[in-house]
Amino acid sequence: MLKEHAMKVKPPRMLAVPFNFGNTLGEANNPSFQHEVLKSAFGLLHNTKGPVLTDFKVETVSDPIVQGSQVKNTSIQNGLSAKDEIKVAMDNYEAWLKQNDARTAVGLSGVHYSKFPEIVEFIVDFVKGRARDCPQKPEGVSVARFLRYCVDDLKAFTFESKMASDRQLNVNELHQWFWIETAVAALIMDLKESMSKHSENDIKAEAFGIAR
Amino acid sequence: MPIMERLSKSMQKRMLEWPCNEYENTPWTPMSKPLSESKVALVSTAGFHVREDRPFVGGDTSYRIIPRTTNPANIIQSHTSIGFDRTETFRDINITYPVDRLEELVGQGEIGSLSDNYYSFMGALSDVSQLVGHFGPKLAENLKTEGVDVVLLVPT
Repeated sequence: MLKEHAMKVKPPRMLAVPFNFGNTLGEANNPSFQHEVLKSAFGLLHNTKGPVLTDFKVETVSDPIVQGSQVKNTSIQNGLSAKDEIKVAMDNYEAWLKQNDARTAVGLSGVHYSKFPEIVEFIVDFVKGRARDCPQKPEGVSVARFLRYCVDDLKAFTFESKMASDRQLNVNELHQWFWIETAVAALIMDLKESMSKHSENDIKAEAFGIAR
Repeated sequence: MPIMERLSKSMQKRMLEWPCNEYENTPWTPMSKPLSESKVALVSTAGFHVREDRPFVGGDTSYRIIPRTTNPANIIQSHTSIGFDRTETFRDINITYPVDRLEELVGQGEIGSLSDNYYSFMGALSDVSQLVGHFGPKLAENLKTEGVDVVLLVPT
């Protein structure tokens, strides 16, 4: 939702925050800042009549995040395939799990992360027209949906692995690294291209949701 | 939510064309007691759910129940939109689902208590008729049954 939508819907009390979508309370791992946002939101309860629409003021706001379609992937220079990257990242991902009390965004596909190299193989084969389905796919899930979940999991796995060793990278630095330097990102863009030309409509429909 | 002018041109167009209910009035309920004596529930539109629960699918107007004491390691996000970044949520779930922050506010005496259950919808819906006519009222009944006084609605 944007402020423009809120002005039409007119919720009783609303705090308009200027952060990027997905960053509603402003900064990760910054409890005092998040409490400032919540204090402002709960402060709206003091108003005796509404609707109340107030802006949360900050001095600086983070830049929009770079998208895959905006940059050129140079991962071929690194000499690693997407499958190699996933294998190399395993130790870092397990370090991430230890560092974060097992909190992880990985899991939508229903495939254990130790099997992600096989998932990458499936995606490569799908892009090349050599595979139409995957033995790892859970029962009752369409191929289109499974592809989307696999991509979400591979992205989460790759980001979390990177953050385990490079905690100081900000969001844009992480996205720049991912979309420019990784073979996983190059594969995801190839998958998007392949899905957008697919003969099955549900697969075509999921293409935009794979990457931008 | 970002400021319109900071979005890409294509995203601005998409957002301005997004179907959005427009209301003349606002349902207004004044506070009957201080927040420090009130029960608060967290409602998200970021597509969160317990890992074993049914993922959200495109156009999904239903909600998921997340018991308040669910370990965040057992919460996952299946929102179908790629219009928002999840990186900071990988780092800290509190940035869109402030579960730890609310517990801290109870500990500080700022909030009276928290509901037994939290809830999550998935946003980015173009057709909200089922939400307005069915799932929204159903959630409201759940919240009343739990004795909730205040809802903190946190979108993506």
